[in-house]
This record gives sequence, structure tokens and C-alpha cells, in this order.
Amino acid sequence: MAETQKNTPLFVMGGILLVYGFIANTGVLLPVMKYLHTHKYLDLQVIMCLVLGALGILGGIVNSVRKPQNTTLDRFVLQPLGGVLLLLILAMAIRWYLEPMVKILSKNLQPTLGFKIYKVLNLNYVVLGILVGVLITNTIGIPKFAAAGVKTARFVLKMGVIMLGARYSFAELAKLGVYSVWLIGFFVLGTVFLVLWLGGLFKQPKTMTGVLSAGMGVCGVSATVAVAPVVKAKSEEMAYTIGTILSFGIICMFIFPTIGKLVGMNPVQFGAWAGTGILNSAQVAAAALAFNAVDIKTLKVAEIFNITRVLFLPVIVLVLATWFGKESGQKLSFKSVVVDKFPIFILGFLLLFLFSSLGLFSPPTHYKGKYIDVSYNDRTRITDEEREVLKSAIQGGAISGLNSTQAEALNDLVKQGQIAGNFDNRSDKKLFAKVGQDRMFALESILAAAKAKQVKLPKDVKSAVKHAIKQVHKKSKTVSTLTDCMIWFFAFGLIGLGMQITKKAIMQAGGFPLLMGGIAGVTKATLSFIVVLWLVKDVVLK
Amino acid sequence: MNENKKDIKTTEDNIDEMEERALSVFASERNEDLTALIFCLITTFLVLLFTKWLV
Repeated sequence: MAETQKNTPLFVMGGILLVYGFIANTGVLLPVMKYLHTHKYLDLQVIMCLVLGALGILGGIVNSVRKPQNTTLDRFVLQPLGGVLLLLILAMAIRWYLEPMVKILSKNLQPTLGFKIYKVLNLNYVVLGILVGVLITNTIGIPKFAAAGVKTARFVLKMGVIMLGARYSFAELAKLGVYSVWLIGFFVLGTVFLVLWLGGLFKQPKTMTGVLSAGMGVCGVSATVAVAPVVKAKSEEMAYTIGTILSFGIICMFIFPTIGKLVGMNPVQFGAWAGTGILNSAQVAAAALAFNAVDIKTLKVAEIFNITRVLFLPVIVLVLATWFGKESGQKLSFKSVVVDKFPIFILGFLLLFLFSSLGLFSPPTHYKGKYIDVSYNDRTRITDEEREVLKSAIQGGAISGLNSTQAEALNDLVKQGQIAGNFDNRSDKKLFAKVGQDRMFALESILAAAKAKQVKLPKDVKSAVKHAIKQVHKKSKTVSTLTDCMIWFFAFGLIGLGMQITKKAIMQAGGFPLLMGGIAGVTKATLSFIVVLWLVKDVVLK
Repeated sequence: MNENKKDIKTTEDNIDEMEERALSVFASERNEDLTALIFCLITTFLVLLFTKWLV
């Protein structure tokens, strides 16, 4: 009887999951899911709930009839099952309900606030997961039945970090101009070393300094999550770093456009500065759009600089793994520093990064699974009707205000029925791809100019151009699925890590991380401002 | 003297092991990393199989 009582949470959670799975399967929840835009996950919701529910009930029965022993099955399955189920239920609630609700609320608040609070505060499953974990541990505390399961969080988080490698490709980095790579490389590594130095100066723990340096140097949240296990950072140090970089980014997001306008930066200069100085991708985009919503160049350059910075993540992980090994190792031989202390899961991250760069998951030139296909093929064509609409609009003079590049791109779209290079030059693949990409860029700029009412564009023409651009934007199913796995691993792991953050631990960290982050951020923003004004004139890409 | 050093080392090892057990279900971080790596490679293989090779 006592055993059964101890397993009540397992039966209850298993039962809830089964009931939810059956209800979802009837389609009763479809209107709610449609409102939350989660209806495409209906099948996944049903399968996950039924399988996990059945596992919960089965685990509960086995635990009730079997005496606890010290076997592998007990240690890795039966004991942690309650906690694992709890974390999964919370992860599902966040992914399918809380995150979509925050998105909708943030959209509704946009007219009042002028920006999407969801994007600016990065209120996605990462931050929400940590917050939910912190909330639970500081209110009701970690339930006793879940204690063993919460200990699997770090392991699952490491799996997420390994999967992260599949999203990036070296080819994307090689595609960029050498100039911009050098510029960003200097700032990324410079910031990392500056934070490490400040950590020594303020006598902060190596774990805190290591994770903060990655967060401030590379790309914010994902870098922090990836590096935390490398430098053995505590959960609260990771949360502190995320808090520091997000709050610093919010300040930058409002200050950067104002300064850029005051000193008269051109769109390319501002894009380069925002992409280097601001940490979070969404905040970079918001600042670029606030500076110039019409000239698409600002946003493009900012995004390219931001992507380049993110691509330095594998390098930084290597640098910090070596640094941490060196700092904590007693003997400074190469073997003890690099071989013995090097985290094995990072090899997994690098392995997936290598596979991704070699084109195993997607064409090598992808970024997060997205790539542009401007080769001449049927999959990227617009419809014959759309082609006819464009043709008659051009001939009838319904479009006005285009510059010569934009007009050429539009004429070629009518001629070839898709965005691509010149058909006659298709043997020179590099040139063919470049011409195709330039045409896509020109068509995107037509849409931006139409939005700013600088170009007159009939509605059906706009829709045809939009379709043509959409046709060349492809997404790899393999990378998308691997990313989905990563998201679930991260959601699970971060709720578990959040549960290890107590109020006391946050207080103990004091104000030094914020101070170090502030100094490093301001130094980077100021230096990059000077360098960009001095060196970046107009063209930063190959 | 040597035995004292040995004792200190053993205590440190014990603390390390206990800290590790408090944070993870695995006996050592090496085991945890290796298991994560193997699980991820299996996941990647399955994803490739069903989204690329068998499609």
C-alpha cells in the first residue's frame, strides 16, 4: 500500500497525459489549438501524451509491485521517471500553451508599446522554461517524487547542445567577405577575453566568468546555454548571464538607432554596428528596423553580421573548453589540459557542425536549415497566371518608381518565370548563383519600397513578387526535425536547471556579473562604433 | 605525510563524486557526456533515415 501511495504522482501524471491525449485525438481542442497556432502539432501532441501517459502508468505499476533495487533500470528509468514526466508535462505546457499565449499577448500589445515584447524580451521557451523552473522551486519547492528526475536535466541539456551543431555551417561563414569575418572575429574574441580578464580583476568564480564571456561575446542565449556545461557553470550563473545580456540588449536597442541617426551613419554602417554591438538576434533586427525601415540593406547587413557572430560559437566553445581545462587542471601538459579535460559532448557538437558543413543535412550554404535555391528548376517557379499579371503590369505601365536594378530583376522574373541567374551562364555556377541572389535582393527591395510608398505596385503584382521570393527560400526537413529535437531537449533541460535556482543563490551572485557584463558590452559597443565609422564605408560583402 | 596526502586526495575525490551524484544520475561526467553523444548520434541517424534517405 505504502509503495502505491509513493507512486501516486506517477499514476496521476500518466492518467492526465492519457486523458489529454484522448481528448486531443477527438479534435475537440482544435479551435483552441488553431487560435494558438499549435494545430499543426496535433498529431505530435496525441502521440507524445499517449506514449508518455502509458509509460507513466506502467512505471507506476512496476514501482508498486517491485522492491527498489540498485540496478541500472532503477537508477536510470524507474527512480527518475516521476521527475522526467513532470519536466516533460511542463515542457509541453510551455511549448503548446504558454509560449503561444505570450506571443498572442505580445502581438496585441504591439500597437501600444510599438514593439513586440515577446521578441524584445526573448520570451521564448528558453527563458520561459527557466522562469517556470525558478518559480516552482521558490514557491512549492521541487516535489520529492521529482528529485531524481530533475537530475537528468543537465544530461538532456547536453543533448540539446550537441544538436545545436546541426544548425550552423562553415560554408555560410566562408561565403561572407573576409573583411567582415575579421571584424566580427576580433570583437567576439576580444569581448570573450575582456570578460575573462574582468572576472580575474573582480575575483569572480571561473564558472561565472566563463559563461558570461560566451554570452557577451557571441550571440546571447544559445551561446550561454551551450557554454554553461563546458565551464561547469551553476544554473543561477547561467540565468544571471541570460538576464544580463537581455537587459543590456534592450537598452542598446533603444539607444543605437538614436546615436546612429545623430552621427549620420549610412545604412551599411548602422547594420554593421548593430550586428556587432547588440547581442540578441531579435534585438538586432528591431534596432535595424528602428533605424531604417525602408532601406532593406540595414537589416540585411545587421543580420549578416549577427549570423557571422553566431557562427563563431564552435570556435568560442573550443577556446573556453581549453581555457577552463587549463584553469582547473593542476598539471599544464597538453594532454591534461586539452585531452582529459575536454568535454566529450562538445566533440558531438563539433561533429554535427562538421556534418552540417559538409552538406549531410542540407546544402552546405544553409543557416539554421534555411537556404536560397536560385538554381534553374521547376520547384522555384511562379504560376503562369502570376507571370501574366507581371507581364501586363510592366507593359501597361502600372508599376512606377523602380530603379534600373529593380526593373531588370522584375523583367527577368517575367522572362524566366523564377528567380535565377542568366540561363545562358548556368555553366558558371558561382556567377549564376550571384546574379540570382542579387535579383532576389532587388525584388525584396521593391517590396520594402512599396511598403514605404516610394514605389507604386498593384496588389496582384506584389503578391506575385512575394510568391517568387518565397519559392526560392527553402527549408531542410532534416535540419528542422533535428532543431525540433534540440528545442525539446533544451525545454526539458532548462526547466530542470531553473528548478536548481534558489532566491538565495541569486542573491549570492551579487552585482558583479551585471557590472562585468555592462563594462564589456559598453566597451564593445564603443569600439565597434569607432571601427565601423572609420572602416566600413559601403560594401562589406564579397 | 604521504598517507595524509592520500587521505586528503581521497576525501576530495569523495566530495567530487558526491557533488556529481547530486547533480546527475550518472556516476561520472564522462559517462554522462558519452551517453548524450551516443543518444544524439542515434537520433541524428534516425532523423536522416526518415527525412532524407527513405523519402
